[in-house]
Amino acid sequence: MTSLSYNHFFTLSLVIFIIGCFGLFLNRRNMILILMCIEIILLAANINFVSASVFLNDINGQVFSIFILTIAAAEAAIGLAILVVYFRNKGEIDITQINQLKD
Amino acid sequence: MFFVGSFFLFATFLITTCIFVIFSKNPVNSVLFLVLAFLNSTFLFILIGAEFVGIILAIVYIGAVAILFLFVVMMLDIKRTTLMSNIKRYVPVALLFAGIILTEIIYLTIYKSSKSNPSIITRSKNNTEQIGDVLYTKYFIDFQLSGIVLLLAMIGAIVLTHVYRPTIRRQNIDKQNSTTATERVKLVKVNTGQGIEND
Repeated sequence: MTSLSYNHFFTLSLVIFIIGCFGLFLNRRNMILILMCIEIILLAANINFVSASVFLNDINGQVFSIFILTIAAAEAAIGLAILVVYFRNKGEIDITQINQLKD
Repeated sequence: MFFVGSFFLFATFLITTCIFVIFSKNPVNSVLFLVLAFLNSTFLFILIGAEFVGIILAIVYIGAVAILFLFVVMMLDIKRTTLMSNIKRYVPVALLFAGIILTEIIYLTIYKSSKSNPSIITRSKNNTEQIGDVLYTKYFIDFQLSGIVLLLAMIGAIVLTHVYRPTIRRQNIDKQNSTTATERVKLVKVNTGQGIEND
């Protein structure tokens, strides 16, 4: 415990990833919280990429982390647009009610 | 020792705020805790010397994505009491899946991790220079493609949320440009004391 190592950051990103997955399973009623959990999972991936890049002294990981940021922003925009359209049609964002796509 | 202490401080804050994001009853509180989580991870990135990605994370997530979430949460009229009503039903399933993933990855880290333990290496160039060296040369195509992804996301969001209202009178630019002055304006000779007839 005298100096920082990659294992610290790997454990941190692991814990955050599992918190995100846990939230995905837990919040089955609220679509906004599911989008936020996806953001948390992407943040865990980012922490893993950046810390591996720093500790292996390879800059490519940080470039990939920028690409992940881009995809996360695009995903949030599209997801929230779908959410707004769904709320406009149904008047609620309860995802247990999204079962009409089957018909 | 300063680095280790700061790491544990920020990591504890990060994990705590992530847990609060999940368990908040109010979606607005969730979004604000998400902002705090991203701020803490920014601090972590700056701590280990990845300043550029840290600041980009702060700008993109706190400045754009979290505000987008906040706008949507405030625009939608969500009945707060019904959202978390039967949360207890899903706790065992969630705990089961979290436990499975956790044991799998702990198994992997204990039995498959490499013995080498690299540390932070000081470099001649700073972080932003290093990223700029590869981002516009080696990853040029990927950089352009990520721009196209953002453009597609923007067009998709606009198309999804756009509502066509036929009652609104719109500006027709083609029609405006194709008219001439003689179709709209008429020069009339007005005699003194008589005025003109209204057509």
